[in-house]
Amino acid sequence: MTGLFKSIAVAAGFAAMVASPVLASAADLPSNIRLVIGSKSTGGDTYQNSAIVAEALAKKLDINVKVDAVGSSEAFKALQRDSRGTTIMIFHDQSYLGNLYGVRGYDDIFENYVVGPTVAINPGNAYLVPKNSPMQSMEDVIAAAAAGQRIRVAIQAGGVSEIGFSALKNAVKVSYPGAEANIVPVNTGSQADKNQLMFDGQADVINGSVQANEQFTQLSPDDQKAMRFIWLTARKETIAQANAEGMGDTTRDELLAFTTPNVSVTLDGSKDFTFDKEFFFLFNKDMDADQIAAIDTALKEIYAAGDIQKTQKASFFIPNYKPQAEAATYLKAKRDEYRHVIDAIATK
Amino acid sequence: MELLSILTPMFFALVAVGTVIGIIFGAIPGMTATMAVAVCLPLTYSLGLENGLALLLGLYVGGISGGLVPAILLNIPGTPSSITTTLDGYPMTQNGEGERALKIGITSSLVGGLISLAALYLFAPALADFAIKFSYIEKFLIIFFALTVMAALSSSLLVGIFSGFLGIFISLIGAYDISRGGNGELRLVPEFLEYYLESGFSLLPVLIGLFGLATILIEAERGMKEGQGLSGVKIGGKPFKISVFKGQIVNLFRSSAIGTFVGILPGVGGSAASILAYSQEKNFSKNPEKFGKGAPEGVIASESANNGLTGGALVPLLSLGIPGDSTTAILIGAFTLQGIQVGPLFIGNNPVTWNAMIIAMLVANIVMFLVMVFAIRHLAKVVTVPKNILFPIILMMCVVGAYTINYGVMFDVWTLLIFGLFGYFAHKVGLEIAPFIIGFILGPSAEIYFVKSLESFGTFSIFFTKSWIAGLLWVLIALSIAFSISVARKKHRIENGSDKP
Amino acid sequence: MSFDSPFNVTIDFSTSHMIFPTIIAVILGILLITILITRGSTMLATVTNGAWWPAGIDHKRFFGTLALTVVYFLAMPSVGDIFPNTGLGFYLCSIPYLFALSTLFLHERSRRTLSIAAANAIIAPSVVWYILSELFNISLP
Repeated sequence: MTGLFKSIAVAAGFAAMVASPVLASAADLPSNIRLVIGSKSTGGDTYQNSAIVAEALAKKLDINVKVDAVGSSEAFKALQRDSRGTTIMIFHDQSYLGNLYGVRGYDDIFENYVVGPTVAINPGNAYLVPKNSPMQSMEDVIAAAAAGQRIRVAIQAGGVSEIGFSALKNAVKVSYPGAEANIVPVNTGSQADKNQLMFDGQADVINGSVQANEQFTQLSPDDQKAMRFIWLTARKETIAQANAEGMGDTTRDELLAFTTPNVSVTLDGSKDFTFDKEFFFLFNKDMDADQIAAIDTALKEIYAAGDIQKTQKASFFIPNYKPQAEAATYLKAKRDEYRHVIDAIATK
Repeated sequence: MELLSILTPMFFALVAVGTVIGIIFGAIPGMTATMAVAVCLPLTYSLGLENGLALLLGLYVGGISGGLVPAILLNIPGTPSSITTTLDGYPMTQNGEGERALKIGITSSLVGGLISLAALYLFAPALADFAIKFSYIEKFLIIFFALTVMAALSSSLLVGIFSGFLGIFISLIGAYDISRGGNGELRLVPEFLEYYLESGFSLLPVLIGLFGLATILIEAERGMKEGQGLSGVKIGGKPFKISVFKGQIVNLFRSSAIGTFVGILPGVGGSAASILAYSQEKNFSKNPEKFGKGAPEGVIASESANNGLTGGALVPLLSLGIPGDSTTAILIGAFTLQGIQVGPLFIGNNPVTWNAMIIAMLVANIVMFLVMVFAIRHLAKVVTVPKNILFPIILMMCVVGAYTINYGVMFDVWTLLIFGLFGYFAHKVGLEIAPFIIGFILGPSAEIYFVKSLESFGTFSIFFTKSWIAGLLWVLIALSIAFSISVARKKHRIENGSDKP
Repeated sequence: MSFDSPFNVTIDFSTSHMIFPTIIAVILGILLITILITRGSTMLATVTNGAWWPAGIDHKRFFGTLALTVVYFLAMPSVGDIFPNTGLGFYLCSIPYLFALSTLFLHERSRRTLSIAAANAIIAPSVVWYILSELFNISLP
């Protein structure tokens, strides 16, 4: 009924209604917050996860939090314009991977924004082959590349979808220097396009996700659409936190067979490469530190209460709250690790 | 019977409410079916899967159908897929047949919706297996085929084609979209506009600018006199009789089938459906010269095709986990919210949900028809509202639509003004808007599929040798071009003939 | 894009964003030249004979509509910024815009027509703002 109340107030005169929260002391959060996200889709994981967090925050702080799927470039612009705390952002590793891959429009987030806290992980990033492919595992793929076979990997360039590809290329380089040239990208767009390239025989390996591709792995091998997981980039500890049912007809234990150490894509010969797609907050650099702290504290209490975890897990997200400062340090270290991988395979 | 326990009064009420809200969204210039589904998605958290889907599918069917109202009455397509409805629907309104045009449109929508629903129910998995035979190459050829329509929709062949290519050119402004497979580099953008034009011009503001704002500017130029143009139309005209559909059975089925089929192909885009259906009807017609002047066949083709889309777009969604258009992309969210995976096993694993969805779609189509039949008489009176009241409201709604289409980007509102002015001056210099907007809509898809085909196969000959489907599409393209040229020649001869004293 | 033979091409992903725009630009150029050749003379005749834009149009209403719209678009985000994320920028600016436009379009400004315009200018934005911003939680300027 707040809507009705507000419109009565509006009819009577605006000033009293909305002006007051803006004029309140700086540490207080505005009563209407716009949460922009780096994705344009309202059907995707970023939106879904942001909606869960926004709802919890709104309830906890008794404010309005509206999620707007404006996409990365508009989101960064909106965040940069507004230092009052009325615009905040949630995005994932794409925000710094875009910068590492030199995609236009991505600045260094650690310089230009306040990063953190983290809220969740989407553990689903996966690589798949056709079910009847002669390559049945990541080992086969690496061996084939080492033997001189050209391996075409369907990815979307410049971010989350490419990082696993870069890691694979790097792993081949570490074990069989020179053979990494056999791992070639097929740059494409949506999951539909990646799947289609596999159906057409134009890609040997595709990037996909547990959520979107699991049902294809259940099809019989003579079906043109049948696929097989060969690698989940998530850490073993991440998948281990998922509900035991896993996703669809694939249980958590079956999923664990596709993560390190069961599937090894080496980082440097000793350690395996892993990648968790983590969702985190980004704030305007000049936003009041007290306001950021207020959001951080609210999140801490929300996670301590324990209900949000159930909602997240039911949607195959892994809860992952890290306080702002800790999250910023952690993500920066993560970024530096991936920078090494990307630099190592750079051809220039 | 688990299904029966789901079919509660609540279920049917939600379908009906969704359909009505959808119609309202579709009928307001600037608001779309996609937007209706997006804003109601959060409501489905609390509704449960089947009830949530009932609401969303109602919104989807209603939203797609509502688009014909402003297209016919105001010459503003309520949704991009009703562009071709304006071509004959609005001339009918100007002839005083607005109510008749609306009834023809709505009946065609119902038929299109039901035919595509039947296709969805009976053949979804088989159709999905057929759809994956369409690679980049076949998709490019379908787009190319749809582009040949530009010629069929032009009053002057040369200027029409020029306008169409100009539309393609302008659609390429901005970054080569990474999310569709591009490399994210900017092109055709002057440096001082880089900040705004990163993602180019959005379709909806361009559309309502060209059709809505430009029309109002033209009226303003003429002094907004009552009794001219829009509000000069007399109400009445020929009454609607079901006999108008006599001889249109082939048209209805062909257009619905085209709509369904285009819906099935992910990434081709819903607007291509009505464009293709309209041009096919014109090509097959004995009197192609009547099109664009108020031919009921044009409305029938366009509207049965865009409702044919509704069932078609659900095929890849439910049997491949891949949305067939922008609205079904949001429907995926509704499934994941409830922890249901969509993919090749969905129908087999969730027979109850599947049947409930089909029933919801069926009910939505029927509710849509009944609601519209009763509302049409009142809706048609919109043209009697004085211009000084109607036009400012339309402008305001266009602003709302432009601003909300990308969830709050002010540049989209300026795009509306830019293309309003562009449409105004295009009208002055004789550029043709219909081919322009078709080029603008199909341009980005044409680019991605063309470049990616060459990137994958490295040879131009692949466009001819890929598959029998490619061969068939070439035949259709050749026929379409040959037909346009022959029509243009005939027209040329007639014009030259009548010019002689 | 480089040609190995007449039919075969190799596409470099990093420059692939220019391929299609170049093709379209060339086609546009050819079409433009064809249009100029076939119709150049008639076009020139129209340009030299006809009255120059904006002669002969309703200046007040045409440029008034444009000016009001520009002011409206500029004002919305600025006012909206005072009341962030409430949609009030849209609401507060739409009322005067609608009234001004309705009055501009009027030919006969009687008390009756003006009060209809005023009522409309208040009711329409209120309904839209309430339904979209408050009920559906849609972002407005």
